[in-house]
Amino acid sequence: MEKDFVYMNPDRRSREENGVFSGPVARLQPNMSVEGWPCDAGSAALENYVALEDATVTERLKEGDFFIKGFTRMGELGFGLRGDTAAGAVCGGKADIAFLTDTLGESRVAASLKGLFGYKPSYGVVSRYGLIGLVPSMECYGIVSGSLENISKTVMIISGFDSRDPSTDESPPDFNITLDMKNPTIGFLSQCMALLDEKEKEAFRASLDIAREAGIGVVELGFDDFSLMADVHNVIGSVEASSSGGKYDSVRYGHRAKSDNNWNDMYIKSRSASFGSIVKAYMLQGGYFQYKAYSDFLSACRIRARILQKTNRLFEKADLIVMPTSRRNLSIDIQYSISDIYKTFTFSLYANITGGPAVSVPGLAITEDTDIGFQILGPIREDRRVLSLASILTAAINRKGAK
Amino acid sequence: MPNVNKRRLCGEFRLSDIGKEVNVMGWVDSLRDHGDILFIHLRDRSGIVQVVFNPAKSSADVIDLAGKLKTEFCIGVAGHVIERENDTKNPVLLTGDIEIVADELEIYGKSPALPFAVSEKAAEQGEGVIVTEPVSEEIRMQYRYLDLRRPSIHDNMVKRHRVCKNIRDFLDMCGFVEIGTPVLTKSTPEGARDYLVPSRIHKNKFYALPQSPQLFKQLLMISGFERYFQIVRCFRDEDLRPNRQPEFTQLDIEASFIDEEFIYELIESLVVKMFETGGIDLPRPFGRMPYSEAMDSVGSDRPDLRFGMYFKDVTDIFADTGYEIFKQILNRGGVIKGIKVEDSSGMLSKNVLQNEYAKQIVPSFGAKGMTWMRVVGDTLQSNIIQFFSEEEQAAALKRFSAKDGDVILLIADMSHKTVASALGQLRLHIAERLGLIPDGIFSPVWVTGFPLFEETDEGISSTHHPFTAPERKDFNPQDREELLSLRSRAYDLVINGEELGGGSIRINDSELQHRIFETLGLSEADVEEKFGFFVKALQYGAPPHGGIALGLDRVVSMILGTSSIREVIAFPKNRNAYCPLTDAPSQIADKQLDELGLLDFSRPRNIPGMHEEKELMDSLSWLSRIGIKDEENNLIESALDDAIRLGSVMKKHAGDEEPAFSTVKIENRYRNGDTARVCDLAKSGDLLKNAPSIKGGFFKVANIIE
Repeated sequence: MEKDFVYMNPDRRSREENGVFSGPVARLQPNMSVEGWPCDAGSAALENYVALEDATVTERLKEGDFFIKGFTRMGELGFGLRGDTAAGAVCGGKADIAFLTDTLGESRVAASLKGLFGYKPSYGVVSRYGLIGLVPSMECYGIVSGSLENISKTVMIISGFDSRDPSTDESPPDFNITLDMKNPTIGFLSQCMALLDEKEKEAFRASLDIAREAGIGVVELGFDDFSLMADVHNVIGSVEASSSGGKYDSVRYGHRAKSDNNWNDMYIKSRSASFGSIVKAYMLQGGYFQYKAYSDFLSACRIRARILQKTNRLFEKADLIVMPTSRRNLSIDIQYSISDIYKTFTFSLYANITGGPAVSVPGLAITEDTDIGFQILGPIREDRRVLSLASILTAAINRKGAK
Repeated sequence: MPNVNKRRLCGEFRLSDIGKEVNVMGWVDSLRDHGDILFIHLRDRSGIVQVVFNPAKSSADVIDLAGKLKTEFCIGVAGHVIERENDTKNPVLLTGDIEIVADELEIYGKSPALPFAVSEKAAEQGEGVIVTEPVSEEIRMQYRYLDLRRPSIHDNMVKRHRVCKNIRDFLDMCGFVEIGTPVLTKSTPEGARDYLVPSRIHKNKFYALPQSPQLFKQLLMISGFERYFQIVRCFRDEDLRPNRQPEFTQLDIEASFIDEEFIYELIESLVVKMFETGGIDLPRPFGRMPYSEAMDSVGSDRPDLRFGMYFKDVTDIFADTGYEIFKQILNRGGVIKGIKVEDSSGMLSKNVLQNEYAKQIVPSFGAKGMTWMRVVGDTLQSNIIQFFSEEEQAAALKRFSAKDGDVILLIADMSHKTVASALGQLRLHIAERLGLIPDGIFSPVWVTGFPLFEETDEGISSTHHPFTAPERKDFNPQDREELLSLRSRAYDLVINGEELGGGSIRINDSELQHRIFETLGLSEADVEEKFGFFVKALQYGAPPHGGIALGLDRVVSMILGTSSIREVIAFPKNRNAYCPLTDAPSQIADKQLDELGLLDFSRPRNIPGMHEEKELMDSLSWLSRIGIKDEENNLIESALDDAIRLGSVMKKHAGDEEPAFSTVKIENRYRNGDTARVCDLAKSGDLLKNAPSIKGGFFKVANIIE
């Protein structure tokens, strides 16, 4: 258990030791600032960095009487899941939750691999102030838990306007789960189905059947641009990473390498030692678009605009879009190239591009060896809709299991 | 309506104008509303005058219109001049005894809220001092047209014009003719990188923008003009430095049938005249210092002679020393030099000398260390004094004529160059720190007798340029030792440690010119390709000639005492060679590239072959300031291959939607930046807690200014 943590809360007030305490237990990643805790974001770029103040989410968790147990291990700067232990650390109890930085879909994929619920709120409803990330326009706090109720309660506590994060909405949307949805329709994408192997298809179709049995309408939708999704994310994400990574200059914090007495040398050597190879390669891809092919970056943003428009049109035909969360036989820990990482998140990164809410439901789409997860995507700020459908479907599986 | 044909300038009104009907035009510098009565300061290029809108004296229409005025509206006023009440006179304004009562008002141009204040005079009397509000230079440059309205910078431009006018008048009087030389030209060997202009007609060929009109002015001498000058824009694509511009203005001069003395006489008279524009009297004649003496005494070919602290060589004193470090350095042919800082032991404590200078500052100048000795009474004190014999100590005291309270600083190194350079920087650092540099002093000096050649990794190169005449012609191009000892007929003009210009007597003998090229290792073919036209011209009776070029931006900046040369250039680039006003340099359309045959250059060519790949990787590593380890090469190479592929996929599939950079509405939710706010973490000093290196309440970093 403890091996899952890089840092444990020195305050020994745990549920095991103190029967009076009844608040939920949260695990954060070391890029979610907690005052006085070592927040290195899994990167040498923040070697020895100790947070000077709480992130907004941390602040709200503390006010909400959460016990923050510690920092789990994380992939460098929240990019990918290599070495990540957040979802593993939550398996213990149903009332537990863990937070993951969701840049490509990390919270949903990690949840699906552990048979848990993984939820990415709509972009702009949870403040990112104090979240040390890499891709500002697409990343946010993701929540992993065994209980949808807990996810719903938690996001109510941490969401809401924050003057320190200009991307937060004036007011949070509704997160209350209802089992009483009026004849919902879900849509699946034919382009998405085409990417699945036979076993995955079979598992996903079975989950659609469960939905139909629960009285939910199922329609097939087409979305040509779906095949471009990972490429668009890669181009935009790398540019933002290169840009937001500029702050790691070894001046105000982080790792300072020994260098000759000149600033360029200081930057180049410090930054060479600060980033792991993958993050470095990602930032240099971003550098390529920024310095050598800016118009290609603009093209990616144009395609992103088209994806947003077309997604809105899809939601006129169906209340929610569904697809698997991950794939069979993923080997998270032996990846290494950027394109390998992107393959892991083929289905989950769509919601990061659009900013819409998404939840991964366990127990629905199961092949013989793997739960590939059943992902529900909704229009931005319709968090209630995705959580409610997840709840309805979970109730349906439970009924089925009980029969 | 105000009449433009009867306009008078704001700054010229005096008591003698009382009672006159006048027309004035300009900008609203400031407004002051005293209930019914509105006062404005009206500013034009000549100065400021106060205009009064008084309901008792002006029509209601005029008063109504005046109510709409805001700062920097461009307006015209017709009115009459009256004397101010005694207690409202403003001694800070030249026009402060009078004011103009407005009878008519016309608004020529309105203005939105300003990005920064243009006015430099407070409107309230008695507060007439210049109000300086710190504005970021980036914003100033972005709104340069408003910045240039500010009287102080406006004045810089006018004075610059005045300097140029003086130059032209003076040189004209001396028989010099101003002749223009081309801007689209061939790359000339000035040592820096060229700015290139692609030719549309000659595909894949390029013009270069001139780094200086060197060869053209020499051609003009061959053409028989004898005395040429030009105030000319030059271009150098050099590494960024704080006080450097990619394009700069130079006063270029060349004359025939002259020697060094002619240049010294001419330039001294001229420079004295230029400095007079700023009210500065330069002492004549200017000093002269051979290069070798400059290096020996202050360690720089740009000697700052406003203060002493010249080097003393003490190598001989420590020839047999027991101090191990000195012994080793001297055994290997090294040298020990030092400076004496008078009456400074109060300011240079042991701690400062040892922990700051010896351990940090001097090593940053390239030397390995520094030895310090404080004179106390008639003895020396130092952390290593026990290693020196009494004779050595006495000799050192005598060599420096040191007395109680002085501090002696020594630098020893195997390399004579290192000692000179580090001790030279130390001399400046100490002088700056202890305030030993007197204000308002100008010490011009000619540095002469430069080495003709210098040693480089590739062999031998010209110290200045290959057209500089050597002191003698009978050298052996094969004899390296002899070549490196040769002096040139070049001269630099240095004032207060800043090089304002330089030049030389040139080679006018094509045979000698060929021998220089040969020495530099240039083949006949190289010479033919690079300067064939020029060598050919030299054969046709070239007169003996020489000249000089002065950096005009720098000279004017020094004359006006501005903080940077950007303050004397109307539309400068910023420190990153970028123009925030026009957004130059900027991307251009593929169509333009296509016309120039450069479309293939617009993206790294994805051709098989390591070379391009490696170049792209190196270039991105540099631009992103991220070093790449050998073992990361493969991973990053394939990531960049992917990026190039992704780029073409994006290009292929993009439509004409407006790019989306975010999924939420972008709006500014930050507070108004009207008052400075210091973050609590900065106040408490907590911000420094995570810094890898701090010093005295600041983040410590490597040298930024080289």
